[in-house]
Amino acid sequence: MGFLITTLIFLVVGIIASLCVRICCNRGPSTNLLHLTLVITATICCWMMWAIVYIAQVNPLIVPILSETE
Amino acid sequence: MGESRGGGCCPPMDLMRSETMQLVQLIVPMESAHLTVSYLGDLGLVQFKDLNSEKSPFQRTYAAQIKRCGEMARKIRFFKDQMSKAGVIPKELLEKESDIDLDDVEVKLGELEAELVEINANNDKLQRSYNELMEYKLVLQKAGEFFSSAHRSATAQQREIESEDSQQAGDDLLESPLLQEEKSIDSSKQVKLGFLTGLVPREKSMVFERILFRATRGNIFIRQTVIEEPVIDPSSGEKAEKNVFVVFYSGERAKSKILKICEAFGANRYPFSEDLGKQAQMITEVSGRLSELKTTIDAGLGHRDILLQTIGDKFELWNLKVRKEKAIYHTLNMLSLDVTKKCLVAEGWSPVFASNEIQDALQRAAFDSNSQVGSIFQVLRTKESPPTYFRTNKFTSAIQEIVDAYGVAKYQEANPGVFTIVTFPFLFAVMFGDWGHGICILLATMYLILREKKLSSQKLGDIMEMAFGGRYVILMMSLFSIYTGLIYNEFFSIPYPLFAPSAYDCRDASCSEATTIGLIKVRDTYPFGLDPVWHGTRSELPFLNSLKMKMSILLGVSQMNLGIIMSYFNARFFKSSVNIWFQFIPQMIFLNSLFGYLSVLIIIKWCTGSQADLYHVMIYMFLSPTDELGENQLFPHQKTVQLVLLFLALVSVPCMLLPKPFILKKQHEARHQGQSYAPLDETDESLHVETTGGSHGHEEFEFSEIFVHQLIHTIEFVLGAVSNTASYLRLWALSLAHSELSSVFYEKVLLLAWGYNNVLILILGIMVFIFATVGVLLVMETLSAFLHALRLHWVEFQNKFYEGDGYKFAPFTFIFTANEDE
Repeated sequence: MGFLITTLIFLVVGIIASLCVRICCNRGPSTNLLHLTLVITATICCWMMWAIVYIAQVNPLIVPILSETE
Repeated sequence: MGESRGGGCCPPMDLMRSETMQLVQLIVPMESAHLTVSYLGDLGLVQFKDLNSEKSPFQRTYAAQIKRCGEMARKIRFFKDQMSKAGVIPKELLEKESDIDLDDVEVKLGELEAELVEINANNDKLQRSYNELMEYKLVLQKAGEFFSSAHRSATAQQREIESEDSQQAGDDLLESPLLQEEKSIDSSKQVKLGFLTGLVPREKSMVFERILFRATRGNIFIRQTVIEEPVIDPSSGEKAEKNVFVVFYSGERAKSKILKICEAFGANRYPFSEDLGKQAQMITEVSGRLSELKTTIDAGLGHRDILLQTIGDKFELWNLKVRKEKAIYHTLNMLSLDVTKKCLVAEGWSPVFASNEIQDALQRAAFDSNSQVGSIFQVLRTKESPPTYFRTNKFTSAIQEIVDAYGVAKYQEANPGVFTIVTFPFLFAVMFGDWGHGICILLATMYLILREKKLSSQKLGDIMEMAFGGRYVILMMSLFSIYTGLIYNEFFSIPYPLFAPSAYDCRDASCSEATTIGLIKVRDTYPFGLDPVWHGTRSELPFLNSLKMKMSILLGVSQMNLGIIMSYFNARFFKSSVNIWFQFIPQMIFLNSLFGYLSVLIIIKWCTGSQADLYHVMIYMFLSPTDELGENQLFPHQKTVQLVLLFLALVSVPCMLLPKPFILKKQHEARHQGQSYAPLDETDESLHVETTGGSHGHEEFEFSEIFVHQLIHTIEFVLGAVSNTASYLRLWALSLAHSELSSVFYEKVLLLAWGYNNVLILILGIMVFIFATVGVLLVMETLSAFLHALRLHWVEFQNKFYEGDGYKFAPFTFIFTANEDE
């Protein structure tokens, strides 16, 4: 469940970011498309990294073994 | 140019492809040529082609003008040199100074140069006389001292002798027999002692003395005294250590020898008279002349400074004017002269969107120069490949330069810069991942960005120049680093449970097995990033290594797929369906059936928590595909799926290799069916339309060459699929290195210093920690991660689609760089 919710959060953040960029720097259709591409690429990169790290920890095969001093 | 291209597949995007360029021809009447080129230079959107390339620089039309400009530039450099020696700073150029005439400037420069040279020559002469007089004064003082001291001792001796004599009054004849004998000698044979005084450099003084002694067979007497402070030598103008010498000799031959030796040693001689009264008189005279000379020299220097100030006021203005004129004449030399029609013909590349502005500039120039006819603007058709032009702003220009450093995009090819703007800082951050370090770099680059206006007008050093130029890239890098730092949960290598408590806890209340078997997962997965419990545990490295390696593979396969999809967009834009069917599709199938499948296996393993060994699965998929998988089974029917994928991969390799050369050959034959003769070149009487060196080689088709090319391309792709995927593991390697270095500095420096409970050691520890963090982690690791992220883009991403053999659009413009010195 946590995975889906956070994925939705990423999606919403991405949409808000593209709207913000469209509102604040609206400079013609080709430039807008460029800005949209950049925002979508950044969102996908960030989501991928988070998702990989999250999924890797859901069913761990190794558990933390504390070291002696602690 | 551009009829066969289409952008119909997808809406146009800024920066994705080069601006459409056209070859334009301008026919300009002679009287408005200069003004036209000047206005086009202000516009900065035309790249002129050199139509006179076979002529030497001296045969060109405007060679004399360029020589003139060169002369003026030389004078300006001379002024600059003189001004910097005198410490005068030229006045800053204000915007929009009134336009000045080049002839006026030339005349003024000539006058000022003559005046300045004269002043300098006079100054040198005066300075030389001053130094000589200084030396003369020293000689007078020192030699005077010597003579007076000798005189004193002589008189003292004589008094002694006289007092002795008086005691033995009658024995004077006996006591001074030599004197008696002397009186009887013929006075005409008496030898007269002469002397010379002067200055000799200290390091040569011993040698000087010895050579004098030998040359005159020991018949001289020399005395030297040291001068304490160094003296300015008149001939060289530098300070030197010197000695004053007095040489006593007898005879004319000895005198000439001594004179020659003095000249050879550069020892300056000055006249000296024995008479005490005359000496005093000379000293006062010399002192008087010295003070006169000093005032004269000061007045001369003052005059020169005033002159340099007046030059400094106008310097920047003249400098700019001369450089502009030189550039204009160089450009005018590139236009071909059409003698019959009394006009100049220019050819150049310019973007299509600039047509109106160029025509506007032409009209204005024709009007301003009061010419009878206007200029003609005409678009030419050519098969030559145009230059590539991307319109970038200060944000995107840094990334575009990074991409161009590898190779400038071919005309209208897809620009990797679009995605590089985001993926380059992202991959950097994957290797850098620490939000503390990210904040430090963010602060540094915010300083550069906030002081942008001030720093861009200053002249910075080489390294600062590069850092300043890339400030927006570094800003992105730091923002992504903060994000990945939060994901890796490292703040100067310390993890924090920022978003929720850690998911792991002891198995029982006593926590007895925490160090042997370990903790277990009791709560939900840590929601954002890496669980903070892992740092410092014994099983940290096995877990993190596995995570980061798999992450690198997943990111790498995604980026390579993006590269292949870019090649699809290129194929669609250039309407090459053979590239779509026999390059894009086999490449996608090959890469994804092997490494895409590996990525899917990784995700399935993570989602199901299976203990399958993925190395084993992948290797035995090739070695023995029909074997049972046993405990390595991740999903049902895995064996069948693997067999199918293996088959697809094997089939796609000959699909990449064989069809394309044959299809290209058939296309070539279809295009040139029945054309046994090549068309004749059309000759136009007045205008030379077809550009030189254009389209030979276009009609040739070497099948063997195409086949070998395709073979190389296929082998490169197939082998590269494995090696490039493995290359992405550097993302793991560098991030491991960064976190280990960071944790070593923290534990072994800061915590160690804290453990001593001593303030001094703590302060020392903090200093060492700061220096190590800044030097190793913030500078060296940044450069290292930058370099590796760059390599991943240039090689692994771009070799999937980028050709990069174009040339950059270099318009004629008056924006000079600060260091340009023609």
